Amino acid sequence: MLEVAKRMRTETRFEELKRYVRLTESDCELLRSFGDLAAPELPRIAAQFYDRIREHEEAHAVFSGEAQIQRLQRSLVAWMERVCGGRYDEAYHEQTAIIGRVHVRIGLPQRYMLTAMALIRVELLRIADEKCGARSGPTREAIVRILDLELAIMLEAYKDSYVERIEQAARQERTDLGVALANAEHRYVSAVELAGVIIVGLDARGRIQLFNKEAERVSGYARDEVLGRSFLEALGLCDTSDAVADRLGQLLAGPATSEVLGAAMRTRSGKLRDVVWSLSSSGNRAADGVVALATGRDVTDERARDERARQNERLAAIGTLAAGLAHEIRNPLNGAQLHVSFLERAIQRKSSQEDMLEATRVVGDEIKRLANLVTEFLDFARPKPPELNPTSLVKALQHACELVEPTAKSARVRLTCDLPSSDVEFPADAAKLTQVLLNLLNNAVEATGATGGGAVLLRGRRGPRQVFIDVEDDGPGLPSPDAPIFDAFYSTKEGGTGLGLAITHRIVTDHRGTIDVSSRPGKTSFHITLPLEQGAGASA
Amino acid sequence: MSETLSPRSNEVLLVDVDVRSSRRLARLLADDGFVVEVLSDGAAAMSRLARWPLPRTLITELAVPSTDGETVARFARSRDPALRIIVLTTHPHLLRPQNVPEPMPVVMTKPLDYRSLLELLREPRPETPTASGLFSEPPADVRSSQADADRNAL
Repeated sequence: MLEVAKRMRTETRFEELKRYVRLTESDCELLRSFGDLAAPELPRIAAQFYDRIREHEEAHAVFSGEAQIQRLQRSLVAWMERVCGGRYDEAYHEQTAIIGRVHVRIGLPQRYMLTAMALIRVELLRIADEKCGARSGPTREAIVRILDLELAIMLEAYKDSYVERIEQAARQERTDLGVALANAEHRYVSAVELAGVIIVGLDARGRIQLFNKEAERVSGYARDEVLGRSFLEALGLCDTSDAVADRLGQLLAGPATSEVLGAAMRTRSGKLRDVVWSLSSSGNRAADGVVALATGRDVTDERARDERARQNERLAAIGTLAAGLAHEIRNPLNGAQLHVSFLERAIQRKSSQEDMLEATRVVGDEIKRLANLVTEFLDFARPKPPELNPTSLVKALQHACELVEPTAKSARVRLTCDLPSSDVEFPADAAKLTQVLLNLLNNAVEATGATGGGAVLLRGRRGPRQVFIDVEDDGPGLPSPDAPIFDAFYSTKEGGTGLGLAITHRIVTDHRGTIDVSSRPGKTSFHITLPLEQGAGASA
Repeated sequence: MSETLSPRSNEVLLVDVDVRSSRRLARLLADDGFVVEVLSDGAAAMSRLARWPLPRTLITELAVPSTDGETVARFARSRDPALRIIVLTTHPHLLRPQNVPEPMPVVMTKPLDYRSLLELLREPRPETPTASGLFSEPPADVRSSQADADRNAL
C-alpha cells in the first residue's frame, strides 16, 4: 500500500501509461528488432497513409499542398522508426506530445488521427506476421501496446486543447458577461439619469436611496444632500399634502402596488413646484436597497401655460363680447346723452327749477359713468397691444409721482419716490406703464388717506435681466390676503368699477412681466417685474 | 363769387345712421349758431361733398351705410385739405390713421360730450398754406361749372 502511494507520488504520466498498457523491457527489445526488419517497408506505409488521406476531403483539407505532404511523409517514416526504436523515455513522450499538439494546431480531426493509426497498425502487424517468425505473436502485442500508447499521448494533446478552449470560452463568456453587465448598467443609469422625469428610489423606511438628475434639477438639491433622508421631509411633501404621506405609508407597508397623485414639492429655495407623482413598490420588504420608486413629473410650467391659454381664451371671448356690447351700449348712450343735454338747456331757458336741472345732471353723470365703464371694460377685455419703446425707468417713476403728488398732498399722504442710483432703459409702452403706476399709486393714496394719512413709496430697481417696481403703503391692507384683487369687477372701493387692477395686471402681463401683491395690516406691497429685453420674459 | 363758394364758416355736415340723435345734435348746434345739414348715408354725404360750397366741418360716424366713415373723410379731405373732420364712433381704435390723409381727423367716442364738441367747433379754423393758396376758391373748372349752375338757378 505504501509502495503504491510512493509510486503515485513519483511516477510520471508517461510511466503510468506504460504501466497501464504493460509495455515491458521485453517489448522494447522486440520493437527494436522489429524496427530493423520493418525499416524498408516504412516509406511505402507512409505513402499509403497519405494516399488514404487524399481520399477524404476534410482530412486532406488540413494540408497546404503536395510539398507539405512530401515533407510529412518523411516525418511519418521518421516517426515509425522512432515508434519501433525500442527507447521509450520522457524525451520520447515529449516528442509524441509535440506531434499531438501539431495535429491539434493544424486542425486535424481526432477521427482521422484514430483511423489513420488503424492503417499503420494493420501494416506493421502484417510485417510482424511476415518477418518475425516465431516471435511474431509477442511482437504484435508489443506493436499494439506502443501504438495505443502513442494514441493515448496524442489524445492528451486534444484534451489539453479542449480544456484550453473551454477555459478560453469561459474567460470570453465572463468577459462578455461583464461587458453585458456594464452595458446594462450603463443603459439603466442612462435611462434613469437622462429621463425627463424625477426618479426617487426609496428604502423600506421611506428614505431616499436614489435621486436622479431631473430630481436634482427640479428640487435644487444635490444628490449627496438628500441621500438617506426621509423622502417626505427632504422634499417638503408632508407640508403640502397629507395624501402623499398616507399613500406612501400604505405603499411601503403593503404588497406590491402603485399610486398616482399630485402634490407640491418644496425646492431648496423654498418655492413650490406642482408635481404629479407615481408611487410604486416592488413588494420587497428588504430593510435596505430600493423597494419603492417615486417618479414625478414637474407640471408647474405646463399648468401655468394651460392657465395662461385658458385665460387668453376667456379674455378673447370677453373681448369679442365687449366689442359688440360697447357698440350696442354706446349708441343708445349717445342718444340719451344728447337728449339730456337738450333737456338741460331747455330747462335752463324756460325755468330755473334747480331740482329739475339737478335731475338732468344726475342722468348725464350716470350716462358718463356707464360710458367710462364701457371704456374701462374694453381696455381690459380688448386692449391694444403695447407699443414698446425704450423707456427710462427714472423718468417713468418721476412722471407718475408728479401726477399723483397733488392728490397725495390733499389726502395728507407722504409720497416718496425711491429712484435707482443709475437709470436704465427697458422696452415699455410709456402711456400704459403710467396707467399702471397711476392705478397702483392712486389706490395706495386712497387706502392710506382713508385712515387719516400715511406714507406711500414708489421704488424702482434694476435686476440682472429685469427691472423691479414696488408700490408700498402703510394703509390698512387688503381685507383678505387671498382676495382676488386682479379679477375683473372685484372692488373694495365704493363706486369702483373693479377693473383698475385687472387692467393693471393685463398691461403688465402684456409686457411679459409679472405682478404680485403681499398685504397685511400696516403694509401692502405690489411688486412688478418687467423684462429688460423683450422676448426674454420676466421671472422674479 | 368767391365769397359764396368758400366753405361756410358755421356750416356743419353731420353724417350718422342714428337720425333721431343726429337731429337732436343738429338742434343743439343750431341753438349755438351753426347751420347743420344731416345725412344718414355715406354715399349721400360724398354726393354732398362733391358740390360747392363745402361745409366748414364734417362730423361723420365711422360706420355709415353705403360706404364707411373713413372713405367719406378721405373724399372730404381730397375736396378740401383744410376741412375740419370729426369722426364719431363707438370703437375709436377702428379708425386707421393711414387711411385718411393728414391732418388726422379728431376722433370722438360716443356718447358724445356736447361741450367738448362745441369747444372744438368754436376753435378758429387753422389757416394752412394749402387751404389759403389753392382751395380758398374751387379750381377753375369747378368754379365755371358752379357759376353755370348758379346762373341756371337764377
